[in-house]
Amino acid sequence: MREATSARVAHMLREKGFNAFVIVGGLAAWRKAGEPVEIVPSDDLVHLPMFS
Amino acid sequence: MDHLVILIAHHGYLVIFLIVLAEALDLPLPASLAMIAGGAAAASGALRAPVVYLVAITALLIGDSIVYFLGRYMGWALLGFLCKVSVNPETCILRSAELFYKRGKVTLIIAKFIPGINTMAPPLAGSMKMRFEQFLCFDFVGASLYILAYGTLGYVFHRFLAVIARALGAAGHVAGVGIVLVLAGYAAYRFWLYYKNRIYRVVPRVQISELAEKLKSEEADKILLVDVRSHGYYDAGTARMKGSIRIEPNNLNEEIKRLPKDKDIYLYCT
Repeated sequence: MREATSARVAHMLREKGFNAFVIVGGLAAWRKAGEPVEIVPSDDLVHLPMFS
Repeated sequence: MDHLVILIAHHGYLVIFLIVLAEALDLPLPASLAMIAGGAAAASGALRAPVVYLVAITALLIGDSIVYFLGRYMGWALLGFLCKVSVNPETCILRSAELFYKRGKVTLIIAKFIPGINTMAPPLAGSMKMRFEQFLCFDFVGASLYILAYGTLGYVFHRFLAVIARALGAAGHVAGVGIVLVLAGYAAYRFWLYYKNRIYRVVPRVQISELAEKLKSEEADKILLVDVRSHGYYDAGTARMKGSIRIEPNNLNEEIKRLPKDKDIYLYCT
């Protein structure tokens, strides 16, 4: 289901008084339209523990 | 069970191989029953016990190795898929990983006997970059124990197998009713999801072109782009919209404390 997560979160945020919107098409449509993306900085990544 | 015994007596090693391989590839087939039947067939002289063991261990090691390498190269994508049935995939992955990491590689030896862990262990070992030789050693021990346990059970109790088969037949009937209930529950769940999403459709939506306009105007500093994907943020090199922040959709009550009320919040997922 497209935008299912965004819609659920937007709905909940609105109930809490935030002014939330859903971006139609999500990241895929954003990229397709040629809008800028950036690589997620490594501090923001969630990591699995590793056997090394 | 009766059918399985007849099938195994006729096609023997091939059937055992295929069923055990399928289970190792995380398909829902009863490898334990196949091994009990194999043990029973060996006791009655239809099959030879060492060959049953060799066939089963080969199938398990091949299947587990495939899933290990899938885990190694697909990482979060595969783990998320395997965790999908659980309420919160991310917690499922991290919790299994943590257990694996703390209890150590020995988890692999007992993993086959624990439902839930048995499907997660080989792909996790791969994703967590356990050395393949090491994985194979522990998995070999674990798989051997698993085969010997169920094979011996069939070997020792082959005379009582008819009795057990009847009991399992009754259990199978109960399982049939259970499956129907689960399917009905799933249908109800999908309907509920559909219904809920109908409500969510009233949430205002914005087209990319419209948003891009706003980002170029003086409204731009009122805009906050928020990434709500629960997966895909884990592998290095993942992209996001320029200038966006991430919130974890499964932990919303905590996450909203970081959000400003005076900005317009634009959400996106994949």
